[in-house]
Amino acid sequence: MIEKIVKIKNKAGLHTRPAATIVKLASKYKCEFFIAKDGLNINGKSIIGVMTLAAETGSELILTFEGEDEQLASDEITDFFNRGFDEP
Amino acid sequence: MIKIDQKAVSRKEFITVEFFYMSTRNLFQLELYSDTSGFNRKIFEQNLHRPGLALAGFVDLFSFSRVQVFGNTETQYLSQLNKEQRIKAIERIFQFNIPCIILTDNNKPFPELLELSNKYKIPLFGTPFSTTKLVYFVSDFLDDQFAERISIHGSFVDVYGTGMLFIGKSGIGKSEVALDLVERGHRLVADDLIILTKKGEGILMGSGTNMGRHFMEIRGLGIIDVERMFGIRAIRYQKRLEIVVELEIWDDNTEYTRTGLDQEHVTISGIDIPYVKLPILPGKNVTVISEVISLNYLLKHYGYKAAESFQERLNKKISEKNKDDMRGVEYFEHDFE
Repeated sequence: MIEKIVKIKNKAGLHTRPAATIVKLASKYKCEFFIAKDGLNINGKSIIGVMTLAAETGSELILTFEGEDEQLASDEITDFFNRGFDEP
Repeated sequence: MIKIDQKAVSRKEFITVEFFYMSTRNLFQLELYSDTSGFNRKIFEQNLHRPGLALAGFVDLFSFSRVQVFGNTETQYLSQLNKEQRIKAIERIFQFNIPCIILTDNNKPFPELLELSNKYKIPLFGTPFSTTKLVYFVSDFLDDQFAERISIHGSFVDVYGTGMLFIGKSGIGKSEVALDLVERGHRLVADDLIILTKKGEGILMGSGTNMGRHFMEIRGLGIIDVERMFGIRAIRYQKRLEIVVELEIWDDNTEYTRTGLDQEHVTISGIDIPYVKLPILPGKNVTVISEVISLNYLLKHYGYKAAESFQERLNKKISEKNKDDMRGVEYFEHDFE
């Protein structure tokens, strides 16, 4: 199991478009992927779950990856968070 | 099996008096006597306290951090004191960090009590309910506020009045099963993210989040609004969790329940919930099976256990000496239908 703590860097926060990208990225992998924030632990492969987090800029999320390809998934998804979803 | 990450479990540490007042003013008919300057005070626990002894001077072990309820005893006690004594008694307990005070039975506050509660910024409320009733109501409300909350990924549907939670890997078709059930007249509680709240001993109540309420994602289609689409009959806001159904792709190495004599359980937050593992196969209608699971649960609940009943028949047959015909009908008497 891999656990990563990431921060939301872009101004608009985790809105629909980056949420959809995260779900798409995660769905490529076999491993389970969860995002936790404020006592909610949501499935990162579900768009409604990711959007329910309503993560604003500056907030911290805990990403959990578990399964055979967890390393690859963790690398790609953590990188997407750290790039601020390629948004200002 | 279900596994719950500690990250999915949360519990409120405190609520502010303002939140308490805003959420319960109508329920408990609370009237605000003091000003709102103490509204940021915090309530940390669900227990209430009657400060009779503390008012009388015994402040050892005074549970000051609880909501303080002034019933008839406290009011009567204060009324038989003279003004100085009253101020002294009230100030004695106001030295402590009290969250707020509720006067029951329509008792009006003494001018000194009102004045001091504004001075010490301790909110003062009144209610027409009797102390016993108010204590019951407020404890229940606070109990719910401070209860453990667990977030779970799944679909939660009321099937014939049974709260069924579908869990399983993402993409296995939980939402599709829920949608199918809704189409057949059952009611969706929440899809995707379910919040379970411990209520009392042995009960878990499930609901959605305030954001994701009755929205659902169908792969290949996107997000749909079940309430708008199917109307009010298709939804409900809360339901007690009664059965957990795990969907999984048929696995040749897994043993599935055959007789149903032993009910499996999952433990969520210390509470045992009946659990069914349902393999998915082509041509298997999960929706109909879900309905049957619910009906079987209801039968069991009302005292009839099909598997046990069949077992009894078997045992009777085995013990019988002369076994008659195995055919279910003894004699087809001119009935060729």
